[in-house]
Amino acid sequence: MEIRKPGIGAYVTATYPNKNDFLNAIRCLSEVSDFLEVGIPTNNPKYDGPVIRKTHFASELKGLDAVNVAKYGKVPTILMGYVEDYVNNLELVAKVASEAGASSVLFPDLLFEHLDKLEEYVMAMRNHSLRPTFFISSNTPHRLVNVLVRYEPLFIYLGLYAATGIKLPLYIERNIKEVRKLVDNITLIAGFAINTPEMVKLVIGAGADAVVVGTALVDKLANPMACAEFMLSLRGGLP
Amino acid sequence: MNVPHYWYNINVDLLRPLPPPIDPYEADSRIALLMRILPSELLDQEFTPLRYVPIPEEIRELYERMGRPTPFKRAYGLERVLGNGVRIYYKFEGALPAGSHKLNTAIPQVYYAIKDNAKEVVTETGAGQWGLAVSLAAALLGVKATVFMTRNSYLNKTQRVLFMRTYGADVYPSPSELTKYGREAIKARPDHPGSLGLAITEAIDFTLMGEGRKYIPGSVLGFVVLHQTVIGQEVLQQMPEEPDLVIGCVGGGSNFSGFSFPMIGARLRNEGFEKTRFLAVESKAAPKLTSGRYTYDFPDTGGLLPMVKMLTLGHDYVPPPTHAAGLRYHGAAPSLSMLVKEGVVEARAYGQEEVMEAARLFARTEGIIPAPESAHAIKAAIDEARRMPKGSVIFFNLSGHGLLDVDAYGNTR
Ligand SMILES: Cc1ncc(COP(=O)(O)O)c(C=O)c1O
Repeated sequence: MEIRKPGIGAYVTATYPNKNDFLNAIRCLSEVSDFLEVGIPTNNPKYDGPVIRKTHFASELKGLDAVNVAKYGKVPTILMGYVEDYVNNLELVAKVASEAGASSVLFPDLLFEHLDKLEEYVMAMRNHSLRPTFFISSNTPHRLVNVLVRYEPLFIYLGLYAATGIKLPLYIERNIKEVRKLVDNITLIAGFAINTPEMVKLVIGAGADAVVVGTALVDKLANPMACAEFMLSLRGGLP
Repeated sequence: MNVPHYWYNINVDLLRPLPPPIDPYEADSRIALLMRILPSELLDQEFTPLRYVPIPEEIRELYERMGRPTPFKRAYGLERVLGNGVRIYYKFEGALPAGSHKLNTAIPQVYYAIKDNAKEVVTETGAGQWGLAVSLAAALLGVKATVFMTRNSYLNKTQRVLFMRTYGADVYPSPSELTKYGREAIKARPDHPGSLGLAITEAIDFTLMGEGRKYIPGSVLGFVVLHQTVIGQEVLQQMPEEPDLVIGCVGGGSNFSGFSFPMIGARLRNEGFEKTRFLAVESKAAPKLTSGRYTYDFPDTGGLLPMVKMLTLGHDYVPPPTHAAGLRYHGAAPSLSMLVKEGVVEARAYGQEEVMEAARLFARTEGIIPAPESAHAIKAAIDEARRMPKGSVIFFNLSGHGLLDVDAYGNTR
């Protein structure tokens, strides 16, 4: 399943705060988002800011059991997990993702901490009819980005800041423009700390194809109305 | 020969991406804290996707007024003594008025602090090289500088304290009565000698206590390394031939990296320096490159900054005293650490006596009294020159002069 461009995706951590609320949240978010990103709860959410970290620690279930509670696929759904939890189980994660109806598994720490697993990861995805996806930061080596493009990923995800939800005074417009040049026509998704329609507009205007919203959603998840309203207001930033 | 127009950002040419900084799981976000204490432009430079970062014209002019480009000289005297036909060149950063390479990043850091409307810059210093450079940069650009200097150095390196004050800075021995951390430390131990970690903590706390203050750090962070590449960018223009060996000393890694990264970057892009070896030299007092672990750790002893992945001896490691106080640091810049880990850069540690002996030989043959830190590079250059075939070429970075290091040369033979 391709990601609609321009698009907005919603990030939720599986079974946060509990299984029921999570299922309600993805049902509701599927109506107002172009795609979903579902976090696999971990004890070690090292690149996440304090808000999303809490969702990992507070989720009802942990690991693949947590993502398994739902059937995805109404909109493209990407599982997001830390590869260090699955270095020796890449095939298993791919199998679970595929059976649950997800389109890919995104590992934000793959290139930073387990570059040696790159080929193996791509094979695991392909073996289960999934597409690879990659997470990069603004200063990821240019040559590596060129390599990623050749795998024809479903998308490349640019983390705009050092951690989710924590805005820093970076020239994100320039950063997106620079990364856009490197990724050719691969779908470019940007995220981390996006919380207003103005920011959505700026990020898409700079060359991203889609954005993901996570931290700003967390306190609205228990309330489907508030959640949908917020996503719809962000959609106002799309062209 | 002109002052370079660009700093070079090696991160985008590395073999692997640099792992991002992370927060510890307990307590507040250190990454969020950075925004309150550091000038914003520096944070942007920490994550920039640009390979070449333009040097603002005002900074280029100041670089030039202060004596950039610095000399790139052939060590004829030293070569003659060694007598085996190896050609040795050195970049002389001690030619800058504060006596070391530290001014290369002090100027832009103070400049960017002022862009954020800072009225005062706050920092820590051990031996005083960094504090002196910040004091000068602040004087040149017209803001106040406040320096927390480890008490032991404050009492021993009195000339540097005097000269910081001559440039108009406020200098306090750390621990001080100005911050709660300082007061606690003094209470616990009235004769506390101070430590760099505590001085950092005091500087950050002092920054947060007042309006219009920004904190600026002297090494390790990516933007510090970036600014120091002005050294290597000049070398690319000044060098008469390609080196077989490039050497620098390492405290936090900024002068070694600033000197060598433009050359290493060219090599990583297959644009020359194919046969060049790169050698980083540290003190046996703080041997992180040769005996450290490659792991996430705090850059500061107090753990106020986010953790970065680097070669480290642990943020609570207390290096034994050494004349090369600027090398007494537990970790090394993440980009340099990665290059050592990947085998692109070799590393070696020397002890104090052999280094000071090399320093004296250099003083007698080249006329320049080197900083004890820089003398680590000299020692390696001498050792390597003795082993290399005739016609080989060595470059090293002479990161500072030692004219204020009275204590180190006090018992010269
Ligand atoms: C003259 C001199 N050289 C080298 C260093 C080491 O620092 P770095 O490795 O960050 O360049 C210092 C630090 O104080 C210094 O004063």
